[in-house]
Amino acid sequence: MVELFRNIINIISVAAVPLMFLVFVGWGIVRKVKVYEVFVEGAKDGFHVAIKIIPFLVAMLVAIGIFRASGAMDVVIAVLSPVSSLIGMPPETVPLAILRPLSGSGSMGLMTELMKVHGPDSFIGVLASTMYGSSETTFYVLAVYFGSVGIKNTRHALPAGIIADIFGMLGALFICRIFFGV
Amino acid sequence: MLNYVWMSLIVIGLLVGAGKDISDEVKNTYRNGFPIEATVHVEKTPTALRQTWEGELVIPAESFNRFYGITSAASEIRLPVEMTTLSSGKTTITILINDSSPDFWREMARNSSGSNKLLGTVNSIKFSDDKSVAEVSVVLEKVNYVKLRAITKAALDYADTAVTISLGLIGVMALWLGIVKIAEEAGLLKLLTNLLTPLTSRLFPDIPADHPAVAAMVMNIAANMLGLNNAATPLGLKAMEELNKLNPKLGTATNAMCTFLVINTAGLTLIPATAIAIRAAQGSAEPGIIIGTSIFGAGCATVAGLVSVKILEKLPRYKKELLVDDHSSESSRG
Repeated sequence: MVELFRNIINIISVAAVPLMFLVFVGWGIVRKVKVYEVFVEGAKDGFHVAIKIIPFLVAMLVAIGIFRASGAMDVVIAVLSPVSSLIGMPPETVPLAILRPLSGSGSMGLMTELMKVHGPDSFIGVLASTMYGSSETTFYVLAVYFGSVGIKNTRHALPAGIIADIFGMLGALFICRIFFGV
Repeated sequence: MLNYVWMSLIVIGLLVGAGKDISDEVKNTYRNGFPIEATVHVEKTPTALRQTWEGELVIPAESFNRFYGITSAASEIRLPVEMTTLSSGKTTITILINDSSPDFWREMARNSSGSNKLLGTVNSIKFSDDKSVAEVSVVLEKVNYVKLRAITKAALDYADTAVTISLGLIGVMALWLGIVKIAEEAGLLKLLTNLLTPLTSRLFPDIPADHPAVAAMVMNIAANMLGLNNAATPLGLKAMEELNKLNPKLGTATNAMCTFLVINTAGLTLIPATAIAIRAAQGSAEPGIIIGTSIFGAGCATVAGLVSVKILEKLPRYKKELLVDDHSSESSRG
């Protein structure tokens, strides 16, 4: 069942991009759009958007880099460990939960390490990979998406994003304890 | 809120880093100035051409741990070393640090003059009768301000990474924006928008049902679901650009933008490809076992995010920020 679902999704994922190209360009030709000219016209913006993101991403990543390099994560983990043990979260996975919204590559490294130490099919291994798959790198998405249109006042996006992250991690813990719990 | 979070990350980082360095200095965590005893198994003795002794440094784990007051070294330490006697009579030692070195020494090497070696001076050296084994007493070079150095390095490295990431987006951005432009001109986006109006008009009540932003958002969410990260970001940025056309107060996020962002940060995807790939690489018997649990987790995140974004946008403090008054809009355009 899982295998079938996975195969279907896999086929769709592989075929999606070529299919989109075909349908979009094909539809354009049918509707007599000057496809080449229009493509170039649209593609022109790619450069500006990418350049516009730079200051936002520098600000965000440097702050996160300083926080990680200082070892402040250990302090946060020490503060949170009574709470995590109360809800049955293995202490090894607490750093991953905190790092997930901050750094994509950092949390990927942590997840890999947890699997290496505890085994990918152990409870901690399954929980770690589920936690990784249950959220996006909120701070990165925020910097890139809002940066591209010059949004400086992000209003309630960050609190809502963090609430989503917390529930994503709790949801991962809950479902893993039910299916793979020890 | 972002201002406070940003400031906290930096200030907490600097304070914790400085505090750790001061405590290292007071406790002398790296045993600066203290000699460590070791055994060297000599492999090459000096010749006329080569002035160095080469061999293998051996320290039992127990005495290594006792010396540094740690517990992390598990096995006996064996590392290649070179010893050179200078004309002044002083003997220096170079310990080559590799992947099998204890973590503690690797960290020290990262913060010393050579990134993959530790330098030191030999206080005393005592050879066995056949010159094959030597008992040495070594003082390693001084290591200090480890965290502050790491913070400086991280700040510079991450600034570099940010530019690399942004520049790396140019190509895919251009490709997708070009493709989407064709779809737009051909009226395909309009068709897609009309199809999904019942759903999108509920999520984004401020956006006119036939606005191009809706189609871009729908395509972004679809690409995210399929795990097409390369396509999702450009489409998402296209959606942001369209949403910004409806923004009365440039520089401030609208309700629709916040809602759209939260959907993206929750990261709902039907196939968490990265996690599965790493599980497979780590030798999992069932790499795909986390598909269901991840969908559940990200589903929780999406629902919680949407509920909280809709509640938060009604709070007076966030509502207030949407009001356009001439002074604040001027300064935010700044």
